[in-house]
Amino acid sequence: MLSRRQFLAAGLALGSAPLWANLIGSREGMYVSAFSSDGNHFAAGFNDVGNILWHIQLPERAHAPVLHPTQAVAGFVARRPGFYMDFVNVRTGDFLQRITPTQDHHFYGHALFSHDGDFLITQENHFPTGEGKIFVRRWPSAEVVAEYSSGGIGPHEAVFLNSSTIVIANGGLRTHPDNDRDILNLDTMAPNLTYLNWQTGEILQQVKHADKWHQLSIRHLDVNQHGEVVIGCQHQGEAWEQVPLVAVSRIDATDFRYLDMPEPIRARFKQYCGSVCFDKSGELVAISTPRGGFVAYWRISDHQFIGVDNCRDVCGLSPSNESGSFILTSGTGKVLNTLVYENHIELITQHASIRWDNHLRRVTI
Amino acid sequence: MKYPRNLSALACSVALCITSHSYANDWSAAVAGIQADVIQPAYNNLARDAQQLQQAVAELCLAPTEPKLQKVKQQFITNIDDWQQIQWLNFGPVTYFMRYYAMEYWPDKKGITRRQLQGLSKTPEVMTDKDFWHSASIAVRGLTAIETLLYHPDFNVIEHAADCHVLTGVSEHHAATTLEIAKQWSESKVGDWVFLDEDSNSSPDHGAMELFVQQWIEHLSAIKDSKLETPIGYNGRANLKLAEFYRSQQSLPAIIENLATYPVLFHAGQPSLYELAKRNDGPQAEEMDRLFQQSVSLAKALPDDFFSGSYSQQQRVELARPLVQSISQSQDKLVELVTSLGFNIGFNSRDGD
Repeated sequence: MLSRRQFLAAGLALGSAPLWANLIGSREGMYVSAFSSDGNHFAAGFNDVGNILWHIQLPERAHAPVLHPTQAVAGFVARRPGFYMDFVNVRTGDFLQRITPTQDHHFYGHALFSHDGDFLITQENHFPTGEGKIFVRRWPSAEVVAEYSSGGIGPHEAVFLNSSTIVIANGGLRTHPDNDRDILNLDTMAPNLTYLNWQTGEILQQVKHADKWHQLSIRHLDVNQHGEVVIGCQHQGEAWEQVPLVAVSRIDATDFRYLDMPEPIRARFKQYCGSVCFDKSGELVAISTPRGGFVAYWRISDHQFIGVDNCRDVCGLSPSNESGSFILTSGTGKVLNTLVYENHIELITQHASIRWDNHLRRVTI
Repeated sequence: MKYPRNLSALACSVALCITSHSYANDWSAAVAGIQADVIQPAYNNLARDAQQLQQAVAELCLAPTEPKLQKVKQQFITNIDDWQQIQWLNFGPVTYFMRYYAMEYWPDKKGITRRQLQGLSKTPEVMTDKDFWHSASIAVRGLTAIETLLYHPDFNVIEHAADCHVLTGVSEHHAATTLEIAKQWSESKVGDWVFLDEDSNSSPDHGAMELFVQQWIEHLSAIKDSKLETPIGYNGRANLKLAEFYRSQQSLPAIIENLATYPVLFHAGQPSLYELAKRNDGPQAEEMDRLFQQSVSLAKALPDDFFSGSYSQQQRVELARPLVQSISQSQDKLVELVTSLGFNIGFNSRDGD
C-alpha cells in the first residue's frame, strides 16, 4: 500500500479544478466500472469509444464506483458483504489506498463523496445487530468522524439530494457475513427510503411501501435537478406477485408515486431492477433489469412510460454527455450508447472476455 | 414501444463473432430438434392428459364413487409426470397470463391454496362467470389446486358436491390452458419468443439456445435446492411439507422425471447439443452425459418412501448426499460446457445485488 505521502503525491497534489480535464487530456468522456474476467475481478476506466484506458485487479468482486468531485480519484466498493474499498488514480489506474470497515461492519457496495470532497460517506451493516449505518470519514485519512443510523436495515445505494442531505435506499434485508448473502428476515423486512442530514444524523423524512409490499426491497435510486428521486426495487417475495417496481419520491411527500408500465413489461422485469439513472437533463429516467435483459425508460415530467431497449445481462447505466442519451454496459461485455427519443442504439464496443459489473459512472468534465 | 431500432454495430470482438457464426446453422438445427422432440411433445402430452383428467373429473362428479376417484387421482399423477418433463422451460406461451406460476403454486408456505379453495367451495357458482378466470388467483388454477382438492383432508369430493364442483372448474381451466399452450407452440417457432439485443447480429435460434441453457441451469438449482435440500433440511431445519406434491407422494417421482428429461434434452436435434459439444471437446461431452445419467440412477436408488417414511433428518441427508453432489457437478459441468461453446449464460442476471 502507498504511504500517505506517496498517496498525496500521486492523487491530491494534482492541482485544482478543472482537474478532470487536465487529467484525461483531450478525451471528452471517461467511464469507470468494475468487471470480472476468468474468475478474477478488476476496476477499469474506458473512454467514449470504449477503449480501456487502464485496469487494476481487485481482491474480490466490486459493485459500484464512487468518484471524487475534484480529485483524480475513483473508489471501487466491494459488493455485499464487502470488506474493502480500493481507490485508484483515474489518470493512470494506479492503486492509491484501501479503506476497510470498522470492526463488526461491512460495506454494501456503494459510497459517496461529499460535494466538497472532504468526506467519504458509506452505507454499512453492523452485522451483530443488523442495524444499518452511515459512516462519515475524513478524506483521505479515513478517520471516522461520525456514525449514524441509516434509518433502517440494509442501506444499499445513497445519493445526494443537496449538499447536506442524502437519500438512502434502506433495502430492508438483514444479512450476516457468516451466512453469506442469505436473507435472515424475509418475513419481517421493512424497506424504506430515508432522507438524512449527513452532517447531523437527523432523519428529515422516511417513506415506506404499504405493509402488503414489505418484501419490496428498495435498492437503487437516482435524483434529478428538481429533487425528484426515482427508486428501483427488487421483490423478495414470490415470482408471481404483481408488485410495482419503480416509484418516484420527493422529500415533501410521505408516499411513493409508483410509475406505470405495461404489464408484459413489468412481468419481464422478473421482480428485479438493477440500476437507476437520470439522463443529463434530468427529464428521462432509465432502469435496467439484467434478469429481464432490457432497459426501460420513463419521461419524468408526466411519468410516461417510453419503451425499452433489449440487451442481455445489461445493468450498468450512466448518462452520456447528451440529453436523452445513456451509456449501457452488460455482463456480456457490451458497451452501448442509446439515444432514447431518436430510437437509436449503437454498440460502441464489446469485450468478449469482460463481464461488466452492476454499476457504471461517468467522469464528468 | 421503441422498436424496430436503427442499428449500427461499430465493433465486435473477433473471437465472439467467430464463435457465434461458426455454429449458426447447427444451433438452428439443435433448437428445432428441441422444439420437435422435447417441447412440442411434452406440451401435447400434457394437453391430452389434462383433457382426460377433465373427463374423469366430470364422470366422478356426475355420480361420485371411490373407483372413479382413484381413476381421477391416477390421471392427476399422469399430469404431474407430463408437467415435470417440461417444467424446466419458463419460455414462450407458458409465460403468458402467469401460466407458468399458475401451473403449480409451490411452495405454498402459508396454505393459500387451501384457504382460497375453501372460499370457492362456499360459492362454487362464481366459477361459471365468464370473467372468473381472468382475475382468479394463481393459487386456485393448476395442479396444486387439483392436488389439494383430491388429497387434503379438508376437502371431500365424494361427499361434498361443492368440492367436486370446484374440482370440475379447476380441471376444466387446466385443460383449456394446456390445450392453448400446445396450440400456440404448434403455430410458432422458438425464435418468435426471443427478445434479441437491439444491436444483435446473432440469430434468434442462438438467442433461444442461450435462454434454454440458462433455464436448464436454473432448473438444476431448483431441483437441488427447493425440491431436495430445503424440505429434508440438508442445510438447516427440515420441513417435509415444503416438498413438491407431497400430499400425493409425488415428490421423489417428480425429481426422477425432471432428471430423466435432461439426457433427452441433451441429445435432441441433429446435431444435438451433445454432438456439438462432442465436436468441441469430446471428453467433456461424454462426462456431461455420464453425470446426467448418474443423477437419474442416484435418484432412482433412493427409497420410494424417501420423503414420507420415518427417517431421521440425518438419515435423509446422508441418503441424499450423493444425488445432491451429482446434481451440483452436473450444473458446474453444464456451465463449463456451454461456456466453451461460446454461450454467455449471464453474470449480472444470475448474481446481482
